[in-house]
Amino acid sequence: MSSNAKAIKKSVHNPIRIDPDTCVKCNLCDWICPGDLIYKEEDNRETLPVIAYPDECWYCGLCQSICPVDAITVIFPDQMINCQTDVKTLLGKVIK
Amino acid sequence: MAHKWKSLETDVLVIGGGVAGCMAAIPALEAGLSVTVCEKGKVLDHCGSVGCGVDHYLTIMESGPEWDTPEFLIKHLPKLTDGIVDMAVASRVIHEMPKVVRKIESFGVNFKDPRFNDYYRLRSFGLPGTYHINFDGTEFKKHIGQRVRKLKGSVLTRTMAVQILVEDGQAYGAIVFNFRTGEWAVVRAKAVVLAAGEVNRISLNASGMAFDSWHCPYNTGDSQAMAYKAGALLTNMEFVETTITPKGFSAQGLNALVSEGAHFINKSGERFMFKYDEKGENARRAVIADAVINEYLLDNGPVYADCRHLPEDILDHMEATLQIDRYTMPAFYEQKALNFREEPIEVSISELSIRRSGVYFRGSGLAVDTDGQTSIKGLFAAGDCASVSGGIAGAAVLGHVAGEGVASFVPKMNGSLPQIDMKTADAIRETAMKHMEVEEERSISWKSYEDEIRRTVNDYIGVRRNEPGLRHALQTLNALAKREPDLKADDLHGLMRVHESSSIRLNAELMATAALARDESRTGSSHYRLDHPESDETNWKKFVIVQKGSKGAETSTLSASEPLAAAFDRKSSAST
Ligand SMILES: Cc1cc2nc3c(=O)[nH]c(=O)nc-3n(C[C@H](O)[C@H](O)[C@H](O)COP(=O)(O)OP(=O)(O)OC[C@H]3O[C@@H](n4cnc5c(N)ncnc54)[C@H](O)[C@@H]3O)c2cc1C
Ligand code: SF4
Ligand code: SF4
Repeated sequence: MSSNAKAIKKSVHNPIRIDPDTCVKCNLCDWICPGDLIYKEEDNRETLPVIAYPDECWYCGLCQSICPVDAITVIFPDQMINCQTDVKTLLGKVIK
Repeated sequence: MAHKWKSLETDVLVIGGGVAGCMAAIPALEAGLSVTVCEKGKVLDHCGSVGCGVDHYLTIMESGPEWDTPEFLIKHLPKLTDGIVDMAVASRVIHEMPKVVRKIESFGVNFKDPRFNDYYRLRSFGLPGTYHINFDGTEFKKHIGQRVRKLKGSVLTRTMAVQILVEDGQAYGAIVFNFRTGEWAVVRAKAVVLAAGEVNRISLNASGMAFDSWHCPYNTGDSQAMAYKAGALLTNMEFVETTITPKGFSAQGLNALVSEGAHFINKSGERFMFKYDEKGENARRAVIADAVINEYLLDNGPVYADCRHLPEDILDHMEATLQIDRYTMPAFYEQKALNFREEPIEVSISELSIRRSGVYFRGSGLAVDTDGQTSIKGLFAAGDCASVSGGIAGAAVLGHVAGEGVASFVPKMNGSLPQIDMKTADAIRETAMKHMEVEEERSISWKSYEDEIRRTVNDYIGVRRNEPGLRHALQTLNALAKREPDLKADDLHGLMRVHESSSIRLNAELMATAALARDESRTGSSHYRLDHPESDETNWKKFVIVQKGSKGAETSTLSASEPLAAAFDRKSSAST
């Protein structure tokens, strides 16, 4: 990944917060995410799961619902919580 | 160096392990066939659209009253679908409903409401009876997935199907790859069931985030794309689906809102639904979406869903069950600091998808016959990728029908399966792997590629269409097709996304092509042609069928009084 791409990645909203102190490194969130977004090293009780593709999150909460110790919180970005889009812009343009 | 392929043999290959795929696998396994499910997810019990839960199931139960019989619902099909429905297939599905709901109960799904230890059945979406069971379906998919595993179905997890294999008009397997390990496999099968869901990520929504979508953003019309390339017939591709969602979060919940009695109001506080339909908020989803679109176009927005008039016990029930259909909905309201008991909820239309255009039993996708078989011999389809669909129940029932179809098809097959031509397989894999090595200067990211598709769909193929717009869209989409080899995958996960982007583009092209052919309007904003704003009941009681031709997508029509199978030109099918 170029450093530029890395910088962009950094600015992407992180959809889930994993509490490192609570997490028991069980891998369930990695196994369950329908988008293949969470990566957790198998058979390693030391490493934490990482959300590798944060901008591809569905905000479905499956990871949160499956986590045995409630270590995951889904956090909505401002674009969703304070959405200011004019709905009319979604309704098409008309070419004569 | 030649690639070392993994090579598998199975009686039945099911592509997509969601509701339809699992329900198709079950009867095939019960009949003693070997079944392999190819699925992008890792855990069958939770993969697909409803891994997190569901809250309503549409069914006939034959509980006594006339409305609860197959015949009564079938009589209403033409009205529910504006006359465009495959009566033969839809009737078979409706007849099978009571049997399938009981079978799912036997897997351990509890459809009863613990408050009364009985079914809590509600009316919504224009249906002529209280056909929806409202229930806590948190474990719905789990029980179905477990059943497949109990019957010893094998599952290829984290595996994406990229091409189905067809020779002499008959399907005999698929090429798949695992996007975690990078392993590629050829799977040889006597029958293939396509069940990879509808087409999402195809248009923009209010949040502007591609993966914030009402339906599963990881279902990208791969069944439709793969089958189209293999020569199968698709239908109803012109119809788009949208729903009403809380503004900013494209999520489920409309059914619960309207069936419990919420009102829609515009900026003046006017309850407007009765202007559009005598059923008011109980109209079909397509009609509700169309009404909200109209209110916005009339500058009557913002539009709100209003629950303030509802009695406390209903509000309590709504609040208690808010998370069932979309687990994160309570968190959204909480983070937004919105109390739906006391404030109206601002709503938007969702992004569009190609699914069933807000209408039950009129699916957009692969045309199937009454056994769930497509126009290609040995290739079956069910769920949100098929021409008859209807949420989890539609997927479960047609899936089960297709599974029974496969169980009767496979034993009658004679002759041996074709050998897989490994040279062709190598070529397919090499083309795919090239996406990982595209040079920087000519590379295009799948994200910006998809963004252009989504903008094009919104602007020219979406809820208001005309001929110049559709032609313009087709030009853009064709130009994007030429750039497909430049799509860059950063890693194996990206390679999966690149394949999804390709399916999304192709499905958008099929939608524009079919929309151009239907020069009338039907079902409100599902297919609204500004240049042909009226429905043409004399000339357009017809299906538009799309098929691959020598120069790209070609369309034809078939009277809707015929079953779609009348357009099939299958070689002497072993299943009949
Ligand atoms: C959150 C949510 C709640 C819903 N609630 C309800 C409800 O209460 N009642 C109702 O009737 N309907 C509900 N629906 C709709 C319902 O879920 C769908 O109509 C139904 O799941 C369709 O079944 P399907 O098998 O076609 O698709 P899915 O169940 O989505 O299964 C498709 C599967 O295909 C896999 N797949 C996709 N592409 C590929 C590929 N190329 N290779 C391999 N695998 C692939 C996917 O990973 C997925 O597992 C809900 C939908 C969502 C998203
Ligand atoms: S919310 Fe859903 S899509 Fe997002 S990381 Fe969790 S499981 Fe994956
Ligand atoms: S499911 Fe929870 S405990 Fe397990 S790895 Fe993920 S965050 Fe940690």
